[in-house]
Amino acid sequence: MLQHGPLLERLLAGDFICRVTDEDAFRHLSDEQTQQDINHYLRPLNRRLVASDDSSVFFLGYQELTKQAREQLSSQFALTVQSLLPLLEWLQLVQETLGRDSALTAGDTIKLQEFVLRTEDNQSLRQRLNQLAGDRFFNSQSEQLDNQVKLIFRRLKEHGYLLQPHHDRQYYIVTGKIDYLIEVIRFIRDEEHLPVDDTPNQEALL
Amino acid sequence: MVAAEPAVASNLFTIGAERLALLGKHHKALMQGYLDGFVDETVFSEAALKKLIAARILWRPDEQQPLALRPLVSELIASMVADENRRQINADVAEKLEQIRNRVQAYRDAQFKGDYSVAELQLQRLTEHVHDLSGQFEEAIDSLWHRLNSDFGFVASLDDKIRENERAQKQLRRLLDGLALLDFNELIELAEGNNHLRKLLVSQLQSQLSSHHSSLLEVQKRLVELLAKFRQQQARSLLIANMAAFLRQHPKYQPADYANRSELPALFNQAAAIVPKAAIALDNASERQVLAGLVRALPRQQSLTLPDTPGASFAVQWQDETIAARQQALKTDVENFYLRVIDHGGKLSALEYLAQQQLQWDSEIWLYQIIAEYQALPVDEKRMFAIVRDEAPASSMNQLLLIRDISLQLQAA
Repeated sequence: MLQHGPLLERLLAGDFICRVTDEDAFRHLSDEQTQQDINHYLRPLNRRLVASDDSSVFFLGYQELTKQAREQLSSQFALTVQSLLPLLEWLQLVQETLGRDSALTAGDTIKLQEFVLRTEDNQSLRQRLNQLAGDRFFNSQSEQLDNQVKLIFRRLKEHGYLLQPHHDRQYYIVTGKIDYLIEVIRFIRDEEHLPVDDTPNQEALL
Repeated sequence: MVAAEPAVASNLFTIGAERLALLGKHHKALMQGYLDGFVDETVFSEAALKKLIAARILWRPDEQQPLALRPLVSELIASMVADENRRQINADVAEKLEQIRNRVQAYRDAQFKGDYSVAELQLQRLTEHVHDLSGQFEEAIDSLWHRLNSDFGFVASLDDKIRENERAQKQLRRLLDGLALLDFNELIELAEGNNHLRKLLVSQLQSQLSSHHSSLLEVQKRLVELLAKFRQQQARSLLIANMAAFLRQHPKYQPADYANRSELPALFNQAAAIVPKAAIALDNASERQVLAGLVRALPRQQSLTLPDTPGASFAVQWQDETIAARQQALKTDVENFYLRVIDHGGKLSALEYLAQQQLQWDSEIWLYQIIAEYQALPVDEKRMFAIVRDEAPASSMNQLLLIRDISLQLQAA
């Protein structure tokens, strides 16, 4: 277990481990024996390893759902629901701003400067970014584009959706937590039968 | 006929060479025409235009239309520069097979007649046809791989990529169908009893085609995988867009309380963080050395010299100038007392000093001001003085301590 010390610490601290955030750790976690060892170790802490549906990201959940655990999960879920719209809008904004033909996914790289440059020249993108930055989730007080963008990316980094490989270089890599978010959305959609399609309708196909 | 052949050939040679040279001579304008879809007639001279049309390089598809490159020329360029937007795939095998059969027949006829030079020529043509057939597949496979490896990057949108992928898959099926048309039993029959033919039609063609076949299957597998990936990306983009739209329309939307379901979905089982902390422990003697080193390595606290901020003073509140003047006088006297302490070096009683200097201050006010002055001193100056209060309980019943006197002394630094 000693060799997994730093990994356990990250997991306990609430980090999501995916191929992007820590490739070695992710490989270890994908091993069934290691999973068992870690779960065994975490049992007294009432924690266990949880993987997303496609096993692309690992994090810790409760082993036993005590009352406190439920309360914590409830508030955690409320936070997640609150963050859905700002995160989705950010995903859309990045996709449109950078002219990408597909939504962001784990491993994609975003250069902050490029994002700023493209937003600067476009009034409608500028406005949407302004609105997004003011959202409670990002909570920017600044009016300046540069600061707003920096804050948004810093918040996403804090929440584990982005990884900044070099502290002093402004480029970010999307982590597996984004894929987790998409899974959550898909789950809610299916569970609540929301009228949210993800297949092109007949018109588009024709 | 034998005599005519070389003449025709040499004629062909001159015309062909001339026309190929035309391509080179106007390369820039023609390439521009390839990119624009039509050629700018003003950059050519009248004679040059005529020559280009006669050479079947340029044509006018319609009276109203500008001159454009002939499709075959465009295709040649597309293949040379691997321009996947324009590159064509020729999956027509039946025609080629027919030609091969005819050539084999003609070759055999010529051999039968003993007309060896004609037979030689026919064999030459036959070899070309066989190579064409193989080359046709090679070209198609090259184009397919090229498109695959660039992730269909030559079209911009995901929808276009999906359409291009589907088109490539259709081409691939036609190519595979074409390959199925080739019946090796037939080719073996055709080649029967002739070494040249057997080598050409059976061993060579067969090995080439079987390698094409496995390449095509590999490409097909990859195309299907890529299409699945495209569809997944498309689904993701749509999910994001539509969910965002839904949430915007229903700002108050709240999903069910999954956290309190009896069967908690694993996705939402996200435990609170535990941050392990550790402190220095001294119970392990062997680690003391290390700990001592750590302590030594701690950065020393710099003595902080605060800017000289005046202490809170009551003077501000007294608007009356006479009272302010009295307050100032009191302060001055107290300062003198402090100076005396510094000069004197020893212990000095406040009340004794008051009496000695015959100052008019009330003893209580005097003591109060001395304490106030002391409190107002900066921290490091405070350390210079030892203040000793001579105090006693108010009465045997009351534990309130009353200050009777104060003595001040310079502290040994």
